[in-house]
Amino acid sequence: MKKGFPLPAVHPLQLPLGLIIWALWFVTVYGGLSVGCAIAQPAAEAGALTWINAVLGLLTIAVSVLLLALARFCMLAAQRGEPPERLFIARLAAGAHVIAALSTLITGLPILVFPPCV
Amino acid sequence: MSEQQKTTRATRAAVWHNPTGWRALTVVSHSVIGKRFMWTGLVFFLIGGLLAMLIRAQLAFPDQAFMSSDIYNQVFTMHGTVMMFLFALPMLEGLAMYMIPKMIGARDLAFPRLGAFGYFCYLFGGLILMASIVLAMAPASGWFMYTPLSSDVFSPGLNSDFWLLGVTFVEIAAVTAGIELLVSILRTRTAGMSLSRMPLFVWYILVTSVMVVFGFPPLILGSILLELERAGGLAFFDVARGGDPLLWQHLFWLFGHPEVYIIFLPAAGVISTLIPVFARRPIVGYRAVVLAVLTTGFISFGLWVHHMFTVGIPQLAQAFFSVASMLVAVPTAIQIFAWLATLWGGRPVFSLPMLWVFGFLVIFVFGGLTGVMLALVPFNWQVHDTHFVVAHMHYVLIGGMLFPLVAGIYYWLPLFTGRMPSMQLGRWGFWLSFIGFNLTFLVMHFTGLLGMPRRVYTYEAGLGWDIPNLISSVGGFVMCVGVAMVLLDLIIHARFGRKAKANPWQADTLEWSMPTPPPTWNFDLLPRVRDRHPNHDPQLQDETWLPAMHHGRRETLGCDPVSGEPRQVIHLPTNSWWPFVCALTLAILCVTLLVRAYPLAALAALLSLLLLCGWSWHNGLRKPHARTLPTQDQLPMHFASFDSPGLWGTNAALLASGSLFMSMLFGWFYLWTVAPLWQFPETSPLAWPLLLAVCLLCSLAALLYRRAVVRLRQGDGSTLPRSLWAVAGSGLAACTALALLLRAPLDITGQAHDAVILVMLLYLLLHTGVATLATVLQLRRVTLGYVSAAAPFEVPIVQQLWRYTQLVAWIILLVLIAFPQSWGVYT
Repeated sequence: MKKGFPLPAVHPLQLPLGLIIWALWFVTVYGGLSVGCAIAQPAAEAGALTWINAVLGLLTIAVSVLLLALARFCMLAAQRGEPPERLFIARLAAGAHVIAALSTLITGLPILVFPPCV
Repeated sequence: MSEQQKTTRATRAAVWHNPTGWRALTVVSHSVIGKRFMWTGLVFFLIGGLLAMLIRAQLAFPDQAFMSSDIYNQVFTMHGTVMMFLFALPMLEGLAMYMIPKMIGARDLAFPRLGAFGYFCYLFGGLILMASIVLAMAPASGWFMYTPLSSDVFSPGLNSDFWLLGVTFVEIAAVTAGIELLVSILRTRTAGMSLSRMPLFVWYILVTSVMVVFGFPPLILGSILLELERAGGLAFFDVARGGDPLLWQHLFWLFGHPEVYIIFLPAAGVISTLIPVFARRPIVGYRAVVLAVLTTGFISFGLWVHHMFTVGIPQLAQAFFSVASMLVAVPTAIQIFAWLATLWGGRPVFSLPMLWVFGFLVIFVFGGLTGVMLALVPFNWQVHDTHFVVAHMHYVLIGGMLFPLVAGIYYWLPLFTGRMPSMQLGRWGFWLSFIGFNLTFLVMHFTGLLGMPRRVYTYEAGLGWDIPNLISSVGGFVMCVGVAMVLLDLIIHARFGRKAKANPWQADTLEWSMPTPPPTWNFDLLPRVRDRHPNHDPQLQDETWLPAMHHGRRETLGCDPVSGEPRQVIHLPTNSWWPFVCALTLAILCVTLLVRAYPLAALAALLSLLLLCGWSWHNGLRKPHARTLPTQDQLPMHFASFDSPGLWGTNAALLASGSLFMSMLFGWFYLWTVAPLWQFPETSPLAWPLLLAVCLLCSLAALLYRRAVVRLRQGDGSTLPRSLWAVAGSGLAACTALALLLRAPLDITGQAHDAVILVMLLYLLLHTGVATLATVLQLRRVTLGYVSAAAPFEVPIVQQLWRYTQLVAWIILLVLIAFPQSWGVYT
């Protein structure tokens, strides 16, 4: 990831990247829920044990892991001897990625509890 | 003062001269435009306040006949509309436009004429809305204009049209200001002001600007669709024709909830600026505050459905928005704790601005807590559409915006007038406002919990609402007296106030390094910044930039967006009639659309197009003095580069357009999946080969343009005319193909499906047309020598237009043809 990731950890676009990923996840989960309910609505009695919850839950975990990996990527860069303004970006971006990951996990918690289409 | 210095000052004054009389309409200086925004916002605030007092007078006692229900509906609708669209945001944008260049060490904003244009759009849009009150045809469907109440069936007059056209016009001003502030902050900071050294207020405005660019287009789209439905009979929100009224609610709140934070964040920026100054220590947790502001900016876009908890959305979806609504309190709390820690660790001085900061902290924290309560779905259901929500909203908006705004105005008053405010009168003003506010709205929470609904023009006696309503009304008038006292203080101080010393508050930001009031060019010499406290740096003037003005150009530094190191000298445009004239013709277009005089509207549209083309044609490069290269600063002029502020401005404008387009796509998929009577015809009404041809032609134009830019970068401008001819030809062919596509048999008044297709095609035609027109103008400018390998900055700007148009064309093909086809909805 250190070499392969297209956006360096000190690039200013890292600052909004994590939260953009959160926003995309949010729209996908909300939109996906509506589409899922429209095409194959599970029975209400199934509670949270449905294919829709499973797909949304897996997506939530995958996005959270990606965001945490990005945070680590930026934190490692912040430990290298970058110029101060680049260090500022790397540290800030690491923080933003962690916040985005936590936001994803916390916002996704209801997937474990609620039936999708009721 | 030596003779040479006098000459230099006279030269500066001549270059940055602001004319008076009628020619004052040509002024583009950020200080003047910022103050105009604020003065106009103040007038609208007084009008909105008067409407509020009418509401409180009506509700003071039960069974009042002071106003009829119809007039009451107009009054509360206009109160909300005026306060949200004509006061809160324009006022803060005005403050930002005035302050930002002074705080970042620039002589003006990046696009001074755009700022002036935005102001006139705001003014004319506001006047159109005000005209509706005078004509007793004011909108009456609430400031959120929910359909179907606002549709032509239930609001048949022009009332709703005033809102839709007037507010859309005002929103143009908001978006232009957002673009201007965004680019100015990223590209015109003084030497050495890296992102990590930016004042916190600038960070807040940066995030707010991005939010404006993304947040306003959904409502602009919603307003266009609703106006098309009302005036042209197109189907978007009518269930019987395949539409859905909830689409309006989504589009409105996609804008509406971020709007609350768009208003709050600049005000919080004022607080983050003032507290360290009056606590006499640097802010605690600068980086945490920046992180909190960024997070707030994003998460605030994920809350919009909490305004729609009662419309019948699945529990799981409600839970997502409920959690996100609670989550946004966390970054807000981080800021509050940073402010408290700064006060705790400092030696606070309770000057007049700090009183208002104190008022903000108390009221906003309370409003934030009731916000968390409203984020809980069951509680939200209980108090939905009651006065509890009204009380919460006013705690957040008045506490979160008005109190910090007054604090900021008192703080920066010496910059505006060179004089200090009166502490005595100011304190009276504060305490009356604070007590009056809490009397009105704290009590209103209980009125709401007792079950009184919003938007009722009167109520029966004996329901338990009499006393709380009377208290709220008395409190409202007490607050009115407080606000009047503040205004009196501000007016009196300008004449009798004590003259301000240099840097009267001992602040550390750059604006206080200037004389009070500052000259129109802000800084004689642009300084180098070495830390976050430049005004406390004794070496501030050791290295300076742009001393010369004898060439007659208005200039400021163009910087690297991250490090703040100077990259280029930006040549700024001077005073001009173009912004006023273009805004005026657009206002005429707006009025002719309003009265449905469509032939006149077509003429006004054509005139507007011609004038806007004329404006784009008459930029500074046509004048000889613009091309004289600087001698004292070893930096290139911006027009010699491929990375000009204009390119950044275009990208920002395209982001705004992209946000509108994404909202359109959301509308398509939303209606497809949710609207109960949405129908696909048996076959697509569009000829897909023709749409594919449009896509290929747009791609060809983008490809040819790219090749031309590559050659130009290599210093070869010889093939540019030929390439531009080819691009213009492709563009013209694409426009023709689109015109043919528009002849498809679309039942736009019968089916939402066809109406959405029409809007998407028109959107694509608009972008293809603009890109083609810009290419033709470029071609002419190349021929005249205004654009060449030595002055290439306009070429990449038009390239972006083609890139974007190409992207839109392919997405439309995918969404309108390929995706439904693969889903099997067309046979």
